[in-house]
Amino acid sequence: MSVVLQSPKRILPCMILTKVEEDMLAGRQGPAKKLALEGLVQLGRAYGAPRMVEIGYAHIHAGMALYLEDVELIEGLADQNAQMAVPSSVNIANADTVNWKQTGAPEKLARLQQRAATAHHKMGSACSFTCTPYWAGHWPTWNTHMTSIESTVTIFCNSVIGAKSNRDGYFSVYAGITGRYPLFGYHLDENRRGTMLFKVDAELRGTTDFSCLGFHIGKIVGEGVPVVSGLARRPTLDELDALGAGMATSGGVSLYIIPTVTPPFASAEQAFAPKPMPEALPVTRADIDAVYTYFCTGRFDQVDIIHVGCPHASFEEMRDYANQLRGKKVKDSVEFWITTSRAVRRMAEEQELLKVLEASGAKVIADTCPISCHFARTVSPDPALGVVPPPLRTVLVDSAKQAKYVRDMIQCDTLLAPTERVIEAALTGRLVPHLS
Amino acid sequence: MIEIAARGIVIGKASGPALVSAEAVSFLGDVDIRSGRVVGDLPSVRNASLRGTVLIMPYTRGSAGAWRFLYQLFKHDNHPVAIITNAVPDPSVVQGAILAGIPVVCEPASPIEDAAANGQRIEVEVHGTDGRVRIF
Repeated sequence: MSVVLQSPKRILPCMILTKVEEDMLAGRQGPAKKLALEGLVQLGRAYGAPRMVEIGYAHIHAGMALYLEDVELIEGLADQNAQMAVPSSVNIANADTVNWKQTGAPEKLARLQQRAATAHHKMGSACSFTCTPYWAGHWPTWNTHMTSIESTVTIFCNSVIGAKSNRDGYFSVYAGITGRYPLFGYHLDENRRGTMLFKVDAELRGTTDFSCLGFHIGKIVGEGVPVVSGLARRPTLDELDALGAGMATSGGVSLYIIPTVTPPFASAEQAFAPKPMPEALPVTRADIDAVYTYFCTGRFDQVDIIHVGCPHASFEEMRDYANQLRGKKVKDSVEFWITTSRAVRRMAEEQELLKVLEASGAKVIADTCPISCHFARTVSPDPALGVVPPPLRTVLVDSAKQAKYVRDMIQCDTLLAPTERVIEAALTGRLVPHLS
Repeated sequence: MIEIAARGIVIGKASGPALVSAEAVSFLGDVDIRSGRVVGDLPSVRNASLRGTVLIMPYTRGSAGAWRFLYQLFKHDNHPVAIITNAVPDPSVVQGAILAGIPVVCEPASPIEDAAANGQRIEVEVHGTDGRVRIF
């Protein structure tokens, strides 16, 4: 005897598809577009999307060599002759595909990661392997619908550029192949409105301070949209990037609004309209410092890696690192990593900054970073690759995002300090605490 | 047998023993891919194996990387065969489930956790947005 209870929920409308989309779905534009659009239609149905929108840019999955048969996912698409229908960039990977030796990665891992690059090239994408594609030249425009597998890219493009993106997963590659994405979430203006107001009452300096501010706000706002007021000056692009990375790490934030920075919001009132502005939550220096303290669990005399470049360094950050390291030597016992994209590495090379950095003894690593490489313990590579994570005790970083994932994925202690102090520590072998 | 209607999120049909979690499970962080066991601090399901179960939980914990870990559970044959949530699940979880062919329903017409105990056989069937949960 069966009892059937009818769902009280509303009947969801079907998605309305264009003739071109119907063609894709019927397989008349090849198997890859059929597979991709089938996935996107199911996603759209799940969220009640009425139709698809045309996207202008996609930041897509790399195919990660540290996960079982994950590179094969991308190769499978390339084998079905998938082609990127829109400009696309490729997210950070699990090995430096050119200079892997300096990271201690097994050659087999790097070779597998290179196969992903080959597949991306076949699909018509410049294989950027970076979490900061904007520093490598991928800069969408205001109101461009786009997709991104990397939440830091989502928040930067929404909040700084004014493009429209959700925090996507693998399906960003499906969007790239079809040029389509279901209309829901942050693709709708009605969801691009503030949910909480913060008033910063602290002097902030440099990207590390901004990453801590982001981490603090993200924890409080969860999946909402924070409106950040009270900043004494317009943050630099690198600081805006660090702010978003921090928020996307501690919360599920996709968009922040800084009035006069985030398009099209000229004021905090406008960011909440038509709703009234809520009361502001103050953020003090003590809140920022609490994030530093939270990520200082390790002992400096047990630091195994010193790292800057999370998210992947911009050209300007590379220049600043070089200015601090010029003519100096990294302490003998110190392993110092600077991570960036291959494109920015090339820019640094052409201006001889790379020479300065490498002469100091720093390792300039592209395509990956400490938490994305073979240091991670939460991965599950094919045993035949011979990946053995090295025993690390403490990693010193200048980014709250890197610190959080060092803790979760490398599963060791962290120290967090502002960039100049981290570089100073690499030179002197001594970290001068900036908090008393 | 009891049949309960629900909102279909990911199409497919599967059955297995119920695993009822009182807490939201994050596939990125709470579950060890290689063993399929819950390693996160979730009192109601700690150490339980997700392998072959119909996983019932209030909601999914949002993380952009959740799809990859759900897909990896599938690749290691440690995945739940179906997922039932009260709230609409996170887009990343939905993408992982579509990729792995794991049917998902949410917003059941009556609470599944009241009708099913751990280990009880449950079938999930989804066509379009029409979902059915059968408890045997």
